[in-house]
Amino acid sequence: MTVQNVATAPQAGVPKTSVWRRIWQQDGPGYLFLLPWFIGFFGLTLGPMISSLYLSFTHFDLLTAPRWAGVDNYVRMFTNDPKFAASMRVTMFFVIFSVPLKLAFALGVAMLLNRGMKGLPLYRALFYLPSLLGASVAIAILWRQIFAGDGLVNKFLSIFGIVGPSWISNPNYSLWTLIVLAIWQFGSPMIIFLAGLRQIPQDMYEAASLDGASKWRQFWKITLPLLTPVVFFNAIIQTIEAFKSFTPAFIISGGTGNPINSTLFYTLYLYQEAFGFFRMGYASALAWVLLALVAVFTAFSFLTSKYWVHYDD
Amino acid sequence: MTFRMDRRQFLMGTSALMALGAAGIGPAWAQAANMRIIFWGGQSRADRTYGVTDLFDEATGSRIDGEFLAWNDYWPKLATQTAGGNAPDIIQMDYRFIVEYAKRNAIAPLDEFVGGALQLDGFDEDQLEGGKVDGQLFGISLGANTVATLVNTVAFEEAGIEPPTSDWTYDDIMEKGQAFAEANIRNGMKMMTDSSGTEPMLDNWLRQKGLQLYTAEGQLGFGAEEMTEWFTIWHNLREAGVIVSPDNQALDTGPLETTGLVTGRAALMPSNSNQLVGYQALVPDKLDMIGYPRISAGSGGGHYRKPSMFFSIAQSSPNKEAAAQFLNFFISDPEAAKILGVERGIPCLPETREVVAPTLDEANQIALNFVANLGDLLGPLPPPPPAAAGEIDISLLRTLSQEVAFGARTPEDAGPYFVNEATAILARAS
Repeated sequence: MTVQNVATAPQAGVPKTSVWRRIWQQDGPGYLFLLPWFIGFFGLTLGPMISSLYLSFTHFDLLTAPRWAGVDNYVRMFTNDPKFAASMRVTMFFVIFSVPLKLAFALGVAMLLNRGMKGLPLYRALFYLPSLLGASVAIAILWRQIFAGDGLVNKFLSIFGIVGPSWISNPNYSLWTLIVLAIWQFGSPMIIFLAGLRQIPQDMYEAASLDGASKWRQFWKITLPLLTPVVFFNAIIQTIEAFKSFTPAFIISGGTGNPINSTLFYTLYLYQEAFGFFRMGYASALAWVLLALVAVFTAFSFLTSKYWVHYDD
Repeated sequence: MTFRMDRRQFLMGTSALMALGAAGIGPAWAQAANMRIIFWGGQSRADRTYGVTDLFDEATGSRIDGEFLAWNDYWPKLATQTAGGNAPDIIQMDYRFIVEYAKRNAIAPLDEFVGGALQLDGFDEDQLEGGKVDGQLFGISLGANTVATLVNTVAFEEAGIEPPTSDWTYDDIMEKGQAFAEANIRNGMKMMTDSSGTEPMLDNWLRQKGLQLYTAEGQLGFGAEEMTEWFTIWHNLREAGVIVSPDNQALDTGPLETTGLVTGRAALMPSNSNQLVGYQALVPDKLDMIGYPRISAGSGGGHYRKPSMFFSIAQSSPNKEAAAQFLNFFISDPEAAKILGVERGIPCLPETREVVAPTLDEANQIALNFVANLGDLLGPLPPPPPAAAGEIDISLLRTLSQEVAFGARTPEDAGPYFVNEATAILARAS
C-alpha cells in the first residue's frame, strides 16, 4: 500500500522523465520486494518446467545425452502402455471417491463443531492434527500396521468373530485403505468449512424455523447453497491434492504400487519410470499429461461452477 | 579430516557450508589425491568402509570423502551425479548395472593398472571374469556370494520336523510343507514363503533345467511353457496351504523387516549368502543356510558364485591411478581385511581369506563355509543380465506372481503373458 502511495506521488511537475524511469519509480520497489520470489519462480520452477517439456520429446537415461524422439513418448503412453492405463484408473478411482467423501466428512464435522460448543479451539486443533501428519512417512507406516493381517483393525474385528483379510496387501481393499487415509486428513477443508458456516447469517435460520422448515430442509435450502463457494474452493484444492498424492502409496507399497498394481498411483508410476528405470523423457511426458489432466479438471469445474455455485451478491 | 555424509548430516552440512560461504571461507576441495567414494549399504558397511579409508589416508597422505545411501536411493543419485559430470572417483557397482555404465563410458577400464597399482595374482578367476565387459576389466569384485535358502532351525524343531538340507527338492517343499502345516505352530506359520516372484529362484530353477534367464545376447533364455510350469508349481503349493498366503506374502515389500522370515510367517526363505548376518540380527531364532531346492534328486548346477558388488573407477576421475591403488589396498591389505570381514561377501584373494577366516563369528562362518563348499550345486557364471532385467523383475515378474496368487490369472495364462511382455520390454530397451 505504502509503495503504491509513494509511487503515485505527484510527478506532473517533473518534465522529461523517461518512460522507464517512471515505471521504475512507480513499480520498481514492488518488483524489488518480489525479487526473491521471481528468482525462485524462474530458476527453480519455470526453468525446470521448460526443460521437462523439452525432455518429454526425447529419450533420456541421464547417462547419455537426450535423443530427440518427437511425439514417441506420448504415442506410446496412449497406445501401448498397460501400466499407464492401470495407474490412470487407480488415480481416477482415488480422486473420484476420496474427494467427495473427504469433503462430506469435513463438512459434517464442521457442522458439529459449529454448534457453539465449549472448548471449540481445542477440538478444532485436534481434528486438524491428522492433516498435519497425514502425508508423512510415519503415518503411512502406522497405516501399514493398522491394516495388516494381524493389525489393529482385524484384532478389533476378531472380537466379533470376524476374520478380516490383510487389508493393505489385498488387491480388493488396498486402494480403499488409502482412501480412508485421505478422508482421515479432513482437517484443512474442515477449517475452511467452519469459517464458511460462520458467514451464514443466523436470521435466515430463524426465519426458516418460524416457517416450519425442518433441520434437514434448512441444510439443503440454506446451508448448502450459501456454502457453495466454499465447497467449490475446497473441491478444487482437494482434487488437485488427490491427483498429486504420492507418499502414502509409496510407503505403504514399498514403492511398488502392488499388490497387482492396485495402489499404483499415477505419480508413483511416474517416479518408477524416472528413478527406477531411468526413462526421464517418458517420465517428463507423464508429468505433462498429469498437468494437462489437472488443468482440464479445474477448467471443467470453473465452467460448470456458474450453474451450482452461488456467490453472495 | 575427511568429509562423509548420510542424509541427516547432509542437511546439517549444507547449512554449515552456507554459513562458511557467508563468512567467505571456502573449504579446501582441491588438493592432490583428494578422492570421493560412494556406496550403498547400511551403517555397519559404512563403518567398515570408513575404517579402511582412514587406514588408506594415513598410509598415503591422501584424503577420501565418502557418501553412502540405501540401494533404492543410490542409483538415482549416482546416475544424476554421472549425468552432471560430477561422479565420485570410486563407485560401488552392481553386476546388474556394470554393463550399462561401462558401455556408456561412465566407468573406466582398469586393465592398464593390472600388474601395477592393482595386484591381482591369485584373484578368483570367476570373480575377475564377472567384472569384465567385452573383455575389458571394469570392476573389481569385493567378494563372492551366492543365493541360499535361510532356515529358521528353531521353528522346525518346534514343528518336530527335520529341517531340509542342501539335498532337498521341490517335491520336498510339498511333502515336508504339508507336515509342517499340520503341526500348526506359531499361529499358522507356513514352511516356506511364496517365492514365485523371486527372480533368482526362477533363474536357479531354469539353470537346473539347462536353460537360463537371459542369453548372452540379452534375450529371454526360456519360453512360455517353462513359465507356466513355474507358476503351476507354486500354484499347487499355494492350494495345498504349504506356502504363505497371497495377502500375507504381499506384505513383503522388500526391506528385511517386511519379509516372511522376519515377521515369522515362514521358516524357509530364499535369499543371499551374505545376508544371513543381516537376517540373524533381526530373527531371535537361530538361522542356518542351505541351497535352493533341486528340481529332482541329484540335479545341480543352479547356483553360481556371483560378485556381490564391485568397485569401479569413474571415467571422469582425474585420479585413476590413486583410485586403483585404493582398490588394491581395499582387497589386499591385511588390516583392511580384518575390518571388512565378509560383510561384502567372501574375499576373492586367498591371502585375504586366510586373514579373515579366524576372525569370524558364527553367522559369518556359516556363510563362508556355504559359499566355499557348494559342491555339485555350483554352475558357471551366467552372462550379465541386460539393462531391462530390473524392469522385468520389478514390474512384470513380481506383479504377475501376485496376479496368479490372488487368482486374477491362471498359470496357463501367465506363462505366455510373461514371455510376450518381457520380450516387449527387452525390445523397447535396446
